[in-house]
Amino acid sequence: MSLAVSPTTPTQHAISSTPAARNPITLRLRKILGTTFTDPATTEALQTLSQIYSTPSASVATQTQNADQNAHDDDDGWSDLDSEGTTPREGPSGHVDVPNETASRARKNLQQDLENKLAEGSQQFLKAFGEVDQKLDDLQNIVVEMRQHCDEAETQLKLTEEASRSLLEQAESLRYERQQVETQKSIVLSFLDRFTLNDDEIEAITSREMSLVPRFFSAMNKTERIRSECRVLMSGEDGPTKAGMDVMATTFSYLEQGYDKIHRWLTFEFRRIGRESQLEVTSVMCEAIRRLSERPELLSDTLTFLAEARQSTLLALFLDALTRGGPSGLPRPIELHAHDPIRYVGDMVAWVHQAIAAECEFLESLFGLSGQTRMVGAVRTFNGSDEEEWVKDLLDSSVVKLCVPLKVRVLQTVRAQESSILSYKVANLLQYYMLTMQRTIGDHSLLSQTLQEMTDVSYKVFFDSIEAQGRALHRIPLDLNDPSVSPPHSIIDHAQLLREIMQVYDSSLLSEGSSDPSEASVGFRSILDVMVDPAVTMCAAAAEEKARLRPRWDRAVFVLNCLGYLENVLEPFSFTEGKRKEMREIVDERVRLLEDEHYEGILKDASLSDVIRTLKTRDPATPLSRLPATEPEALAKALSKFSLWLSTPDVISSPRLFPLSSSLLAGQVHHGALRRLVHAYSALCEEVRAESARGKYVAGSVVLGRERPFGQVELLRQIVGLEDES
Amino acid sequence: MELNEYDVDATELLETYDFLMKYIIIGEAGTGKSCLLHHFTHNAFKDHSQHTIGVEFSSRTVKLGEKRIKLQLWDTAGQERFRSVTRSYYRGAAGVILVYDITNRATFLNLSKWLADARTLASPHLVAVLVGNKSDRDEDREVEWSEASRWAAENGVHFLEASSLTGDNVEAPFLLAARSILLSIESGVLDPEKAGSGVSYGDRALRRVTSSSHLSFGSFGSLSGTRRRRSDKFQLRNWMPSGKCC
Repeated sequence: MSLAVSPTTPTQHAISSTPAARNPITLRLRKILGTTFTDPATTEALQTLSQIYSTPSASVATQTQNADQNAHDDDDGWSDLDSEGTTPREGPSGHVDVPNETASRARKNLQQDLENKLAEGSQQFLKAFGEVDQKLDDLQNIVVEMRQHCDEAETQLKLTEEASRSLLEQAESLRYERQQVETQKSIVLSFLDRFTLNDDEIEAITSREMSLVPRFFSAMNKTERIRSECRVLMSGEDGPTKAGMDVMATTFSYLEQGYDKIHRWLTFEFRRIGRESQLEVTSVMCEAIRRLSERPELLSDTLTFLAEARQSTLLALFLDALTRGGPSGLPRPIELHAHDPIRYVGDMVAWVHQAIAAECEFLESLFGLSGQTRMVGAVRTFNGSDEEEWVKDLLDSSVVKLCVPLKVRVLQTVRAQESSILSYKVANLLQYYMLTMQRTIGDHSLLSQTLQEMTDVSYKVFFDSIEAQGRALHRIPLDLNDPSVSPPHSIIDHAQLLREIMQVYDSSLLSEGSSDPSEASVGFRSILDVMVDPAVTMCAAAAEEKARLRPRWDRAVFVLNCLGYLENVLEPFSFTEGKRKEMREIVDERVRLLEDEHYEGILKDASLSDVIRTLKTRDPATPLSRLPATEPEALAKALSKFSLWLSTPDVISSPRLFPLSSSLLAGQVHHGALRRLVHAYSALCEEVRAESARGKYVAGSVVLGRERPFGQVELLRQIVGLEDES
Repeated sequence: MELNEYDVDATELLETYDFLMKYIIIGEAGTGKSCLLHHFTHNAFKDHSQHTIGVEFSSRTVKLGEKRIKLQLWDTAGQERFRSVTRSYYRGAAGVILVYDITNRATFLNLSKWLADARTLASPHLVAVLVGNKSDRDEDREVEWSEASRWAAENGVHFLEASSLTGDNVEAPFLLAARSILLSIESGVLDPEKAGSGVSYGDRALRRVTSSSHLSFGSFGSLSGTRRRRSDKFQLRNWMPSGKCC
């Protein structure tokens, strides 16, 4: 058998072979068969055994057998083995001394024992199973009970489930509600966050603390934003909501409180800084002003404080500058120079001007207009924005209080001036500042108006002064005993004043501005009228007067000399052109008069006056030869005298015209007279020749040709130096 | 956000300053005073410049070390006919910029008169800076640098040459004068507290010292004012180079 080959692997064997139950027995059998019972221990055991069985005491043997049987009971098939192994046991042992009947009896006993044992074991089994059965019964009871309980529990559970379903539903709905509430809460929170101020912000706006901090401004910003957004929302289709109204109402109150706070702060600040001489603007102040411009009434209220503070500060500073000067008296007080009207007035107005410049800078930066830098000289252009209006108004009102002290002093100075030239200078200066100020602060400001007034007054003072001077000219009679025909002192002084005035005007502070020369002459025309006209009339009138008393005195030359002198004074200044034209007409008139006189004089000197007069006045019907002055003898005499006269130097230049200061004018007059002389002579010659030709004048040509110029007009022209003008 | 507007120091954008100084710019007509000033305030050459009529005003804030100084600049007309007007503006100036034209000797010759005028009419402590303008036209030069420099040294004024065309050295005279004035303040010659000195403290200087008590309700009497300003002087000394002992 294959199993014998591998006795050491009973498990494997047991798995692979089908007669598994027998195999271990076989194995055991073989082992037993193979066992040598020769060893002393076995031999001894066998001997003992045989002794037992050999004795008749069966009970002992049975007991031992039983014990033995019990001992072998654990082994499977021991009984089989025992029964079958009798032979092998006999064989190897060779105990032939054991009688057969003992063995069968023993076997019987053994069988009995075994059966007893089996029964006993079965009984034990029964008993054990009975116990088990009982236990199982108990178990079943328990299980049944459990089942019952379970059923109960299930019912309970079902009931509970039934009951809790509504709860669950409720919970579910509650959860849902909660979710919704959460959402609503977040919406409300974000709404609140967006549409209400938090405590910090409210505190920033409403706290009584004076300072304006960035927090405050951002809170204000937020309030503004809320309001604008709220307004947008409320303008929707649904119309104003209650929340919207509430938000508007609360924010409105906060906003107002905020503005009130800005207002308080600014008022406080303005009162404080208003006292400083130089002003500087902080960013907070700028911001505050910018915001408060949303509430013009508050702004204007607070600006009133600023204006008031500035007014009194500037006034105090101005009075300081006037009376106390700088630190330790340097620079000196302005009033120290009150004796020098130009400097005094100039310093005062310049001080005001400088104060305005600083003030203007302050205000512009206060209103955030300082971006554009503007030279003060440049004309201010207003865009008409509110800020500019504010600046303008404030600037105006800041200097309001300066007007009175300034005006009092300036007018006092102006009125005290005796010198018209000084008052003219002051007037000019004031006018310059008036224009400057008008460009800086506008025409309507009180300061500009004050300057205008002061300028007007000083011009009036000046005009009064020169008019008085003009009137005074008339009151000074000419010196009757002075034979000279040159301009009198009064005229010279007057002209000197005029010259100075013109110089001032020429270098005037304003002429640069008006480039148009005609404009310049217009501006000065009235002064010229006031200055020149009285002089002209005075010359004529006084000369008339003097000539009446001193007939020999040469009135015409005197007047021309005076006029010429005045003309010379006007000459260098281009802006006097109009006046000079006027003067020229007067002079021309006078020159014509003088020419007439001179002509008469020359005729008289040349002894032709009678002849010429006769020629002119005669009745055409009466022949010349019949008239006493022109009858041949007289004519011949006259012509001979004329010839003599022609040889005198008087022909070239008349002594009468020597006193005429303008030699040009003298020449002009003389030539005019000579020309007329030539004409007269020529007319005489023609008449005489014509009559002679008609036979009414005997030897006319002879009479004419006897002496120079021999009746030749051309020759006469040559002699008197008029040959060019034939 | 709005908050950021305040986080960045807006005061820097605004012209806050430690000192305010008044300058006058004088010199003969046509020396380029207005152009110099224009370049200084606008950083550009002023083309087609006309004669100044009377006086013109402009201002600029400069930085000198840690100090910000606001300059009130009064540009005067050089023409003789405006002399009576311009002289009124000398009063209370802390600094004078005396300008001549290096290409025109005539503008250099009268400097003594100009300076004397300024010193009598303004303040004896007037800080003067002589500026030879038009240094870009070296080929037409009529006044040597050395000569002007000597004159400046003799008369105790600072001197430099500048060009209002190229902008060369245009800022220097103003800064130089400001530095000298600060030195005068530090040495106690000038007191910005007093009106008419041509210098005054700006709010910035005050604020720095009294940042916390600035808005206290206490009145700003002169007493507290002086105390504050004294302490400012020490600050000044800290940065001034070679601080003199007063």
